[in-house]
Amino acid sequence: MKATIFDIERNSYVDGPGIRTTVFFKGCNLRCVWCHNPESQSPKPQMMFYKNKCTGCGKCKERCPNNLEKCGLCGKCTLYCPHDAREICGKEYTVDEVIREILKDKAFYDNSDGGVTFSGGECMLQIDFLEEILKECKKNGIHTAVDTAGYVQFEYFERILRFTDLFLYDIKCFDSEKHKQYTGVGNESILENLKRLLTTKKSVWIRIPIIPMVNDTEEELQKIKSFLEACQSPKKIELLPYHAMGEHKYEAIGKEVQMFAVPSEEKMMRLKKIFS
Amino acid sequence: MNERIKKLTDVTLSGEMYPRKIAVEYDREDLFLSPVTMSAKRVCEYILAQEPMLREECAMTGHLIFDGTVEGDIFGRKGHLAFQQAKKAFYKSPLHNLVTLEWQHSTANFEEVLKDGISGIRRRINASKQFHAEDGEAIEFLGALSDFCDALIGWAHKCSHKAYALAQSTGTQKYRQNLLLLSESLKKVPEHPAESFYEAVLTVYLCFSFVPDSIGLADRYLYSYYQKDIQNGTLTKDMAKEYLQELFLMLQSHTSKKSPNFYRGGESHFAIGGYLPNGEDGFNELSRLMVEALMDLPTYIPQISLRWTKKTPSEVFRFMMDCERKDPNKRIAFVNDEPKIKAFTEYLGMPYEDAVNYTMVGCNEVAFPGGIYMGSAQENIVRSLARTLHERGDDLLSCSTFDDFYRIYEKELFADLGEILDYEDKFNLLRARDVNIVSSIFFKGCVERGKSVTQGGATVACSGIDLIGIPNVIDSLAVIKQFVYDEQLLSMRELLEALRDNWEGHEDLLTLIQKKGNFFGNDNEPSNEVARRFTGSLYHYLNDKRSMFGHKYLVGNLIGYHEHHKWFGEKTPATPDGRRSGEPFKFGLGQSGGHDREGLSALLNSVAKCDPHHILNGPTVTNVTIDAQLVVNDEHFEKTVKLFETYLQNGGIHFQLTYVSKEDLLRAQEDPDSYKHLRVRVSGFSDYFVLLNQALQDDVIARTTQTR
Ligand code: SF4
Ligand code: SF4
Repeated sequence: MKATIFDIERNSYVDGPGIRTTVFFKGCNLRCVWCHNPESQSPKPQMMFYKNKCTGCGKCKERCPNNLEKCGLCGKCTLYCPHDAREICGKEYTVDEVIREILKDKAFYDNSDGGVTFSGGECMLQIDFLEEILKECKKNGIHTAVDTAGYVQFEYFERILRFTDLFLYDIKCFDSEKHKQYTGVGNESILENLKRLLTTKKSVWIRIPIIPMVNDTEEELQKIKSFLEACQSPKKIELLPYHAMGEHKYEAIGKEVQMFAVPSEEKMMRLKKIFS
Repeated sequence: MNERIKKLTDVTLSGEMYPRKIAVEYDREDLFLSPVTMSAKRVCEYILAQEPMLREECAMTGHLIFDGTVEGDIFGRKGHLAFQQAKKAFYKSPLHNLVTLEWQHSTANFEEVLKDGISGIRRRINASKQFHAEDGEAIEFLGALSDFCDALIGWAHKCSHKAYALAQSTGTQKYRQNLLLLSESLKKVPEHPAESFYEAVLTVYLCFSFVPDSIGLADRYLYSYYQKDIQNGTLTKDMAKEYLQELFLMLQSHTSKKSPNFYRGGESHFAIGGYLPNGEDGFNELSRLMVEALMDLPTYIPQISLRWTKKTPSEVFRFMMDCERKDPNKRIAFVNDEPKIKAFTEYLGMPYEDAVNYTMVGCNEVAFPGGIYMGSAQENIVRSLARTLHERGDDLLSCSTFDDFYRIYEKELFADLGEILDYEDKFNLLRARDVNIVSSIFFKGCVERGKSVTQGGATVACSGIDLIGIPNVIDSLAVIKQFVYDEQLLSMRELLEALRDNWEGHEDLLTLIQKKGNFFGNDNEPSNEVARRFTGSLYHYLNDKRSMFGHKYLVGNLIGYHEHHKWFGEKTPATPDGRRSGEPFKFGLGQSGGHDREGLSALLNSVAKCDPHHILNGPTVTNVTIDAQLVVNDEHFEKTVKLFETYLQNGGIHFQLTYVSKEDLLRAQEDPDSYKHLRVRVSGFSDYFVLLNQALQDDVIARTTQTR
């Protein structure tokens, strides 16, 4: 069994408690317009080409079996580009390969109450693999977290519940129409899944990306707050300010980027107060 | 900080506390005396002619500096004529692109001076005289030591008189009391045993000038005095802190403000915590107080290393990391007792009770109380690899496995190590031409053996060699193994051609290596394994070798204040790690230049795993540059604390942190005036970035800033 994964990041401080390794699965069923990992959306490996780094030296063409005309993702050009202008995003991994990477930092997890986080993309879309790797992690005594946008059948949650210690659950905005406008899908099932998930008493951290002009008003956040209050409360609510660091990656995969303003620190402080 | 210490700090940082050197006119007929007798006579005259550095704010005095007209202390080595000559020839001047001469480091046996006083040492000298009655040389040397003891006590009495006189003229009641206590105390110590915490600190203060290097494990030898006085109510924590601060200010003022070393913590370095002889962790209330006392002072010297043990409470480690992140002058570093003690007991064969007494000294050397760390010269460890590749091509072409290749390389490596050790002894012989009288009474063994510390008198000694370019060697070996043998992406012939051509015309290959190379610091097993094989070779070669004084060699990898990585690099041809001919080497045990791509935990794992034989327990440094956010943000800081704690649990020897961004450093090079205050950790010590020489600046810049 294999999964398509686009990055395994060790020593991550931002994806749950303690020191973690975050495994980024490729493929997502949302299309958030502010996504800072646009390369995570397509489920297939893909070529990324950073035009601004390219000097036009032609080394890639020299090595490419297809004269750069049709890409079979062989990766040769990426090895010989002297300026890191080409990169293949996404690679297939077996459960064994991933677990080997994860185990390298076990001592760090153990000492910091950290562990592993499966993220994406939407890791739930590769549920068979996810279930397997979670089981493996638990066999090895590793704390597990699953970072999800929740747009899947609840059955998927049920399959992994036993092997997942923590869910990082995104709420993008409360109004379903707006949700559809900015992510491509309505949020009814997302909220419903969350409600059900919270009744299981599993640890859940809610993560809300703060995107100016989309969901950065007190009114919006109040609605989310009331919704959560009506459920079993989650363990923690994190507000994550929008950042523009994904911009160059849109160009690299040939997509249009939509930019937003970065929320000010004062605004973040103000919005965080709503939940404190 | 109270008013008194504030005033003393101001005059220390303005350079006014640096003792004035009083010139002495020696009798030219001294030249008819034997060298030892003449040296002793003049040393004593010099000491007694000096003027105590004393201000009305002082509660301690007795600090002095040798001016080079007599054979001074073992650290400054002013007036050591043979050493000075050797220094001119070989210090900072590599010989055969292989070896250099280095300073040596030590710490006095302060504990003994506190317990027995100089009078106790005198008794031992007299006993030794009886023992060596037949040995004219020993008798002469011991006589010189007796004279030195007299001079030292005479100096203390002179200081006492001056303190008394100043007490009469001061208008401030508190200062007057301090000076009178000082005057009284100096009639007693260091001649007689110290009985209070104050007397103990004063003894160290006064004796430091004669071995002015590290104050050693002060949190141990001062602890019983501290506890006793706190219990009987004669000392408060605040008073103790003040005395410690006055001691630390003296350490700062031992270096002239005119010297760039004034800003470098490596001038005086000591350790706190660590294992006690009973196997418990030694970090105590006084250790903490020492750190707090230092953190209050805006000085550069001394620097403190925490000796971490598996029993160090997490709270203590966090406290030290917190001080480290808040200290603008970057005086805190960390060293791991676990591999160190293993190296000292298993490899050096020391008894555990002695091994646990080491302190950090200099940039990052080790020393034992009353012991000396000889050598520690910087040597070129890439030369043998370059010679293998550039001169033994024919042999290499017939190798069909990496093992075949390694066997040829290892022979060259051993040949260079042999040459290095030969030169080490030659340098030791040069050092031995000077008789050191000033420091010898403070070393274990010199009195009993009737021999100077430079001439084999010290019984507690170790030797070291600092191998520069270890990351280049590990990476080069890993690249050869991966590209030529395991993955067969290129032939040995192609590699040798590329090296011969200094990569010119082979740019594609260079790119491929940079991208695909299994470089050290990424925690990949092939590279970790090569690293272990290399350190294993060092161990196997050095395990049965001894210096002329009979000690085994520990290996380190730092360059101190200098540019050996540049000097050696300039004369070494291209290497398989992608280094071009003439480019500088890497020093320390770590990675740089973006070769470490997997984040901090991977880097730290590689470092912690690479030395199962514990051969790298000489002056080893691991420099880590991290994004300031990893310590400024409190939530991240807690994780960073755990990260480094785990690294130590995993066996990492050392680390020191810098938080400055590469961009800031580049800007600082362009515009030094605007970045005058930027401090970085360099090679076991910290310094202002703009005061570093170019090659050191470039090395700091080349380190990868780890953002996670
Ligand atoms: S090799 Fe890299 S830099 Fe050269 S043309 Fe191709 S993409 Fe551009
Ligand atoms: S990955 Fe292979 S096929 Fe695709 S562009 Fe690069 S060299 Fe050509």
